[in-house]
Amino acid sequence: MSTSGTDLVVTGLGLVLPCGDGITAARASLATGPPCFVELPEALGAGRGAACTAFQPAGIIPPMQLRRLDRPSRFAWVAAHQAFQDAGLDPKPLGERVAVAVGTMTGGSEASEAFMRPYLQRGPEGASPMVFPNTVANAASGHLALAFGLKGPSATFVDRENAAFAALDQAARWLHADLVDAALVLGVDGLFPLLMDVCRGTRLLARHGLPEVGSGRGFLPGEGAQAFLLERRASAEARGARPRATLAGLACRSSLGHARAARTEALAAAATALGEASLDRRIGGGSGLSDLDALEAALAAAHPHWPTAVHPKTLWGEFTGSGGQLLAAALLEPAARTLVTAPASAGAQFAALLEGVRLEGS
Amino acid sequence: MSRSRVVVTGLGMVSSLALDREATWAAMLSGQDGLGPLTRLHLPAEPAQIAGQVSLAAGRHQTLCERMALRALAEALDGFQPHGDPARLGVFQGAGTSGLPVAEAFLEERLAGRRGLAAETASQSPCTVADTLALHLGATGPRATVMNACSSSLLALGMAWERLAAGELDLALAGGAEGLCRTTYGGFSCLKAVDPRKCRPFSRDRAGLNLGEGAVQLLLEPLERAQARGAIIFAEVLGYGASMDAHHPTAPHPEGEGAARAMTQALRAGGLTPADIDLISAHGTATPANDGAECLAIRRALGAAADQVSVTSTKSQFGHTLGSAGAFGAASAILALRDQVVSPTLRLEDPDPHCDLDCTALVARERTVRAALVNAFAFGGNNLSLALGRWEGR
Repeated sequence: MSTSGTDLVVTGLGLVLPCGDGITAARASLATGPPCFVELPEALGAGRGAACTAFQPAGIIPPMQLRRLDRPSRFAWVAAHQAFQDAGLDPKPLGERVAVAVGTMTGGSEASEAFMRPYLQRGPEGASPMVFPNTVANAASGHLALAFGLKGPSATFVDRENAAFAALDQAARWLHADLVDAALVLGVDGLFPLLMDVCRGTRLLARHGLPEVGSGRGFLPGEGAQAFLLERRASAEARGARPRATLAGLACRSSLGHARAARTEALAAAATALGEASLDRRIGGGSGLSDLDALEAALAAAHPHWPTAVHPKTLWGEFTGSGGQLLAAALLEPAARTLVTAPASAGAQFAALLEGVRLEGS
Repeated sequence: MSRSRVVVTGLGMVSSLALDREATWAAMLSGQDGLGPLTRLHLPAEPAQIAGQVSLAAGRHQTLCERMALRALAEALDGFQPHGDPARLGVFQGAGTSGLPVAEAFLEERLAGRRGLAAETASQSPCTVADTLALHLGATGPRATVMNACSSSLLALGMAWERLAAGELDLALAGGAEGLCRTTYGGFSCLKAVDPRKCRPFSRDRAGLNLGEGAVQLLLEPLERAQARGAIIFAEVLGYGASMDAHHPTAPHPEGEGAARAMTQALRAGGLTPADIDLISAHGTATPANDGAECLAIRRALGAAADQVSVTSTKSQFGHTLGSAGAFGAASAILALRDQVVSPTLRLEDPDPHCDLDCTALVARERTVRAALVNAFAFGGNNLSLALGRWEGR
């Protein structure tokens, strides 16, 4: 199924990534590396990952609010702030005409662990009413609604590595249906100890060296938020905004079960649903995990004329916005046509086509 | 833009009242509730010990949510084998707690110094239920899992409607499955939102919710296809409205401003006027904050027509089933539209004067039900309202 049409444009971009906050840091990282994986601070868990160690919310999130927010919501707030600034749009007067669609693999989980640990150890005495509201995956969208006065529809998707694409799809529908004039789409994830514990236990993490597509070495997790302001072209032009890109197409196919062959077929169907036209640039979802890399390899083999894919997960980590990092990377270099392919370990496989990517914001 | 009409052709319910739809509905109409002593979880220090529990357990390789969802799917299909292009079959699920019980068990093992089952924990993503259902349905089309807390499954229904109405799909499965877990039980309890007695929606002395579990799955398809295959049509899905309060992380807007906007949008999407609505399947959690605000929202959205509607809350039968609560509300509205009878709000013996609507106290009521709104509101000030219409054969 595909959401397409040249009338939707990205007018704002906000990035919180392990390489730093903002577009400049992300461009430099994508152009020259190095990968952002470090030994994580104890608070985030044991092992290596791509943490947003330079994240700086001061001056953007008021101190009183900061206390109430879980880690992903902090990232989301700053990324959204950047995206609205980049788009030159004050969302408050628009209120109910602005939607929020969030994709996350780990949203709510950091707070769930923070709530569960003392509760399991001490029972109701250990339960924190401050922490519990953040245990829901849609905590970030609620905080964003409060922070920016957003009163339109809202949805939070948790579709594994591709949740941000599901969010983009839903936002596009609300815009196409003229229910809103602008939609804030976010991918957001945060690292936390239980996540690292589970990842380590599954033996899917790269134990030595860096994640590298095709190496079979494994992946490393990351965290961050990517915010995209999406508008209909006519609305954007009417307010004098200069789009960063056009969302020319978005396609999704799902596999039956987790079998690699079925997922490969689904990803290929999603990519080809967007047409076989010439591409200037390609972003892939390879992470170093052979289970995902194989899907990208099959696509590349079937389309030898396509440009070699850039795989941002080997720089910024898996999760890191549940596919949002791929969409972000697509917006960081000018290109006439950029194809983003997003393999997942199960479920929905996505592809997105962006046209007319330019670097200057509004 | 022309839209296809979308109808409900299958409905499966697994509830704390019964493990199938008709037995659940009959029990609802006869005034039974599915609330009882909490036995699924061992939480002796919790002041509240009541929950709506389903008489099923997790299997060796199947979580309780998967098991309930599959049972509801089988009932929704009722022997129908979808055919045609599998890429035009979609699955949309709402989830709340989902894989949390598995994560809790893993953390408990780790806290006890044991290794735990990391692979099992990793495999229990919130979208596992959607994947399992899609596998059984043979669906390779769009698949999404929404986690909008307590409005999740209602949005999943809205998403399915949206895609079917646009002609993108031939069939969609939508709903939710939810099991009890310690995080939500302890969480709502520490917010002082759990009533140690059985909950009393819209009552003067209401003191909070009870938690519940269960699954509801709906089969939705374009009217033309449903008629072509001679499917039983339960009701028509007319549209939905969605909004955010931007007011408070957990409390609703005190005057129901956002909720009213969601209802108004649902009316608009369905081409309805307030006077067309005979039933509101309310969010009706029985928390002091929700029920009053919801009644104000209904008045705000329907105006004078609010005095003619029947309002009911399924929370009085099942407790609050969180991620699947919206689908439970939709199921009760669909069956009310089918049978022209509204299920009661139990234990509503002393109505709150601030909830001055006809909240269908204590006993079911036969009445004309032409169209209904289903409400589901959630943490984060997230509001959903779904519009449903009676199927009258044309």
